[in-house]
Amino acid sequence: MLMYVRLTQMREGERGIVVDIHGGHRARQRLLGMGIAPGTKIVVVKSGRPGPYIIAIGNTRIALGQGVAEKIIVRREL
Amino acid sequence: MVSCCSVEKVPEEKKESLKVIALAGNPNVGKTTIFNALTGLRQHVGNWPGVTVEKKEGIMKYREKEFLVVDLPGTYSLTANSIDELIARNFILSGNADVVVDIVDASCLMRNLFLTMEIFEMGVKKVVIALNKIDIARKRGVRFDVKKMEKILGVPVIPTNAKEGAGVEELKRVIANMAEGKITTNPVIPVYEEPIEREIEHISSLLRGTPLEEMYNIRWLAIKLLTRDQEVIKLVLNYLGPGKMDEILKHISELEVHYKRSLDIVIANQKYEFIDKLMHQFVIHFGEVKETFSDQIDRVLTHPAYGILGLLGVFYVLFKFVFTIGTPMQEFLDNTFASFGEFVAGFIGNEAVRGLIVEGVIGGVGSVLSFFPLVFLLFIAMSVLEDSGYMARAAVVMERIMRKFGLPGKSFIPMVLAFGCNVPAIMATRTLEDERDRILTMLINPLVPCSARMVVITFLAGAFFSDHKALMAVSIYAISLFLALLSALILGKFVIKGEESPFVIELPEYSLPSWKVAVVHSWERSKEFLRKAGTIILLGSVAIWYLSNYPEPIGSGLSYAEKLGKVFEPFTMLMGLDWKAAVSLIFGIIAKENVIATYGIIYGIGESEEALISLMQSAMTGLQAFVLALVTTLYIPCIATIGAIRAEGGNKWALVASAYNLMLASAVGVLVYNIGLLLGF
Ligand SMILES: Nc1nc2c(ncn2[C@@H]2O[C@H](COP(=O)(O)OP(=O)(O)O)[C@@H](O)[C@H]2O)c(=O)[nH]1
Ligand SMILES: [Mg+2]
Repeated sequence: MLMYVRLTQMREGERGIVVDIHGGHRARQRLLGMGIAPGTKIVVVKSGRPGPYIIAIGNTRIALGQGVAEKIIVRREL
Repeated sequence: MVSCCSVEKVPEEKKESLKVIALAGNPNVGKTTIFNALTGLRQHVGNWPGVTVEKKEGIMKYREKEFLVVDLPGTYSLTANSIDELIARNFILSGNADVVVDIVDASCLMRNLFLTMEIFEMGVKKVVIALNKIDIARKRGVRFDVKKMEKILGVPVIPTNAKEGAGVEELKRVIANMAEGKITTNPVIPVYEEPIEREIEHISSLLRGTPLEEMYNIRWLAIKLLTRDQEVIKLVLNYLGPGKMDEILKHISELEVHYKRSLDIVIANQKYEFIDKLMHQFVIHFGEVKETFSDQIDRVLTHPAYGILGLLGVFYVLFKFVFTIGTPMQEFLDNTFASFGEFVAGFIGNEAVRGLIVEGVIGGVGSVLSFFPLVFLLFIAMSVLEDSGYMARAAVVMERIMRKFGLPGKSFIPMVLAFGCNVPAIMATRTLEDERDRILTMLINPLVPCSARMVVITFLAGAFFSDHKALMAVSIYAISLFLALLSALILGKFVIKGEESPFVIELPEYSLPSWKVAVVHSWERSKEFLRKAGTIILLGSVAIWYLSNYPEPIGSGLSYAEKLGKVFEPFTMLMGLDWKAAVSLIFGIIAKENVIATYGIIYGIGESEEALISLMQSAMTGLQAFVLALVTTLYIPCIATIGAIRAEGGNKWALVASAYNLMLASAVGVLVYNIGLLLGF
């Protein structure tokens, strides 16, 4: 199983740590601004095309569109 | 090296007056709840200077001493990428706060401490941390050693459960003591990897000795330069000149090559690692992220199909609530002002003065105030939607649909509110972080028919299309909504260009809204509406009174209003509308329901609806009535709406909106009329 995947490739219930954010300045700044940065621990709450994807960071939940979710690279935690 | 900019820059007169307490924190941490607990709802809602972000201030009392509490916008970090972040950042930088209360969510501490670290990095020393939602954290099995946390972070930490009020007294005590200088602190500063630290030191050495050192924390400036913060680059350029700035930028590029990414990511990453290490020292048990009931609801409510059904249901209930209560109140106020006007008229001999006061002033104030219940109720509905957490879900559901028209899902809310009244709807565009999205949403908003236009549409539908009333009304609504979305596409492409914002939105946990808070907050917002829109409506209604009474009263054919109507007639005839319609449309700018009332005045029959219907039926075809309803819906927004756009977006956009709507209405009016003629209607 791949360790490094796009957020869109994670299944519901899987855990991981954000390792990188691709994409332009704007998307990156927006994600960093929401507290999604390399080092952030996440749990996937809802997944599947065409989105929204929902992730949990601690007790908070964040919904992401397909486009943004593809830019987030996650290291799976088994 | 770390000099605290916050104390030095307090203006002299401020020192004498109240000490200022600023509340900072991520969105949804409970900032508003803590603000309410500290100030006991003694508060005032206004705007931050120059922008439309809401500013809340209140007075906190502790042992007979008063403090001014300022609620900063909720932000996750303090970059220069959104108005909210800039406001919070500039306020903290300005040094106007005697104490910064950093509210963190204990159940999501890691992400929240990111902002804390940014505040510490700015060199702010007088910080109190409110460890809020401690109840939720405990329930999830998270355990803290608060004493140790205080030692490691270097500032007081007060566990609170703002919802129940637990810990709030202690928080007040610590804030008061800190404001009076009785508590010393030593905030921890994040340390980065060697290459970054070396560059921070290098940049700092260039900045030392410049006037910047007096005003800002040098280390903070250096870190912000590394992340290519546009505001800080501009600031530093002023003091260092382009030569040294280029040198700095060259170093930054080299470092970016070294890390193979931009440094904002690298620094954020290392900051998180630093926070992680800190947390391991004071968090005894981390707890688990468990699926909550909220998550299960969300799978349904954000579902592409069920989500839409849920949305329809919620908004049906919302409008039912607003109109069931609001319409009778509106009618009551209307009648009250009408009788009050008649009552006053009896005391004024001079005809001109009587007209001015009764029709101009009392009529004007009346029409402003009769808006009030509807606006207030819509604000309450909105507040309840926000506080319950549903608003974010609605945005998620609508995202894919709205995106097809170049709008974010969130812009759906102002569009829905517009069915009630465009004024609160336009004020609601504030919730859109992105400038482009906000302006675009504002510009198309007037095209959504509000309840005043519903009055005109249903009147004309009833008078001219008795067999197909609903069909006629629905087609007007459909055409205008279609045009609103089409306009979003076109304006988004050609007038307000710019990249679409990426879709990321926090889903707050569902919760029962507090009625008290909703009422207080909506009351403050509605008062703001009265202040802003009130004057312009009042002036407008005085103008209309004048136009329709001079030099001769309307109905004589000699009034300025009628003359104006005849000037426009050649133009409106292109869509089959005579001078009477032109006059009515002009008066409709004050309030759209005037369109019908004006016909009554021109025919000189006052309020009798049957008489008006039969007179209009003999003067107009069904096609003309249809065009009139359509044009009434589309042309220049009413004065209150223009006022709201002006308040939220400035003169330029108020003008653009008016001009665009007028052009659109003319084009559509001419088109529909002529196609209608061709089809033999
Ligand atoms: N369980 C719990 N809920 C809280 C606490 N503080 C705030 N809340 C709830 O969290 C939600 C967000 O609070 P609010 O004050 O609006 O957050 P803001 O966005 O930071 O202003 C509301 O539903 C509050 O009732 C707390 O200490 N414990
Ligand atoms: Mg709030």
